[in-house]
Amino acid sequence: MTLEEKKQAVIEEFSMYDEWLDKYEYLIELGKALEAYPEEKKTEEKLIKGCQSRVWLDYELKDGKLYFRADSDAIITKGIISLLISVYSGRTPAEIAADDFGFIDQIGLKENLSPTRANGLVSMIDTIKWVANDTAAKEQMAGQAGHDDKAVLTAEDVAALQPLYADVILALKQVYDPEIPVNIYDLGLIYELNIDKDRKVSIVMTFTAPNCPMADDVMHEVEDSVKRVPGVTGCSIELTFEPVWDRSMLSEEARVDLGLDYEEDDYGKLS
Amino acid sequence: MTVEEIRSQFPALAQQVYGKPLVYLDNAATAQRPLAVLEKERTLASTVNANIHRAVHKLAADATEEYERTRELVADFLNAESPKEIVFTSGTTMSINLVASCFGEAFIGEGDEIIVSVAEHHSNIVPWQLLCQRKKAVLKVLEIDEFGGLQVESLQKLISQRTKIIAISHISNVLGLVNPVQEIIRIAHHNDIPVLVDGAQGSIHAKVDVQELDCDFYAFSGHKVYGATGTGVLYGKKKWLEAMPPYMGGGEMIETVRFSGTTYAPVPGKFEAGTQNFNAVPTLQEALRLARQFQEDPEVAQREWAITHYLLETLTTDPRIHLYGVPRGTQVKVPLFSFTVEGAHHEDLALILDKMGIAARSGQMCAEPLMDHFGVTGMLRISFAPYNTMEEAEYFVKSLNKAISMLI
Repeated sequence: MTLEEKKQAVIEEFSMYDEWLDKYEYLIELGKALEAYPEEKKTEEKLIKGCQSRVWLDYELKDGKLYFRADSDAIITKGIISLLISVYSGRTPAEIAADDFGFIDQIGLKENLSPTRANGLVSMIDTIKWVANDTAAKEQMAGQAGHDDKAVLTAEDVAALQPLYADVILALKQVYDPEIPVNIYDLGLIYELNIDKDRKVSIVMTFTAPNCPMADDVMHEVEDSVKRVPGVTGCSIELTFEPVWDRSMLSEEARVDLGLDYEEDDYGKLS
Repeated sequence: MTVEEIRSQFPALAQQVYGKPLVYLDNAATAQRPLAVLEKERTLASTVNANIHRAVHKLAADATEEYERTRELVADFLNAESPKEIVFTSGTTMSINLVASCFGEAFIGEGDEIIVSVAEHHSNIVPWQLLCQRKKAVLKVLEIDEFGGLQVESLQKLISQRTKIIAISHISNVLGLVNPVQEIIRIAHHNDIPVLVDGAQGSIHAKVDVQELDCDFYAFSGHKVYGATGTGVLYGKKKWLEAMPPYMGGGEMIETVRFSGTTYAPVPGKFEAGTQNFNAVPTLQEALRLARQFQEDPEVAQREWAITHYLLETLTTDPRIHLYGVPRGTQVKVPLFSFTVEGAHHEDLALILDKMGIAARSGQMCAEPLMDHFGVTGMLRISFAPYNTMEEAEYFVKSLNKAISMLI
């Protein structure tokens, strides 16, 4: 069955039930029938964030197709993820990445869940989308790199890495300084950004003050955010206080955000 | 009052959800509001709507009168010695934060200790943790036994020279057991330690007499006793309130303001900075009148007892169900039941019950340490008010059975 046919089949299946209790009963059946998920894969890493009940999702790429496996401690949630898997498992990453997941709205699932569970559903969909995008990006990279596995950076490699820099910067802009309402990139905390041929990202960064109590948390956040960029294979961060950060490092956007005067010549430190 | 008489005063109860009559069993989270309260708020907003304590004009004087009369009625409701011991807040959370912040500022230093119980709502844990971080103080935890009873006998051992305050719930929002606060206060006072009682649940079902309890602080929320949301009360003994610095700075909490130094208004004004919730606070007049009427009505007590008895019996004899907070001896349980079902997730149950018209609560109930204590990720909770009927309790049990059979 093609993706479209499968989605149509699910919509038809759901339309057979008038009562929501019957729809739940159907989801419960799906949840119970879901292939067993290995206990050792119930790790923090595989846990989908944003769900109130716990949901684990694992995947593998076989012959160019993505296969998902999942589990949840709540059976209706398990039914929902089982439904998603039945639709998307065994499809190519490109096919999943291009899909709009609109059929979820058509079966009325989202608006009939409690807000907390609806958020969980959105998180599950986001995770599946992310896996597809990530896999597609890595495949593309492998295709472009050809069979040359030497460390030499070719002109083609450079061109292929270009868009990834923009994505990584976007990811860095998602991380905010805990004290100043400006993201760490526009604050000027990033001193160096390199992406190597294997798409490993290395960052040299600083903090506004050497004794920032939130430094570890922020660095973790940077790492998480960068690692989630589709195509990125790793991220390492080096911390430096050389040179010491000062206000002159703020981007123009940050100056506007903070309402700082352009003419100001006193580039003192923000406390 | 018959239950029909009571129900007719609460318009929200007459509605249907998903085509089924609403069975509202989430009263511990918020209670429905009676017509008298809704009408009061509307009247205030459409007639005596003026900022209080400030202007000399007629509307302002009437609004101030409504607000201050409420303070007298709240003092009466709690049997406080004086209305000056009543501070209006936005709810229990703010009341406790106020004490943690201001009492903490005045009396807690590095190495001092604060005692809470493991069964507290996050509102009675996190404000103290924040204080401990700020002051490098230590938070100590009073444990509970397997049935959910506080281990009061170990309190004395937990107390040290450095213990500065004990904060304890009157009734846990998960266990529904009336805690032996009087005993705790006796032990604490014997050691010269003041006690804050979190009365978010304790103010609802039975009369509270702060003088008899001899507690130093008592906090509760208006919306859980049929009042408007965003209203709350902090009772504090005058000697403590006077010794504490203000919470927030602003209008009407001052005596004189000069840049060389500001002096503050006498209590309770010192703690009520800025424009107060003057349309909502006077709804407590009607809300507390009704709450008191419920507390004193033998018919209400009889129905409440019957429902509690029925559900205790049902939920403790079903081998699939584990009830947390089982009363022992003379311990009193209010009609609030939190439980787990073997093999069925609390969220699945709540979701199915919802579609049957039943509003139940699932999750951690803002008491994660207690969930960890029992080794569960969450529970299902149902909590009853005087407008709930025995038929609703029976319908709940029937629906729960159906939900379980769907899930297992």
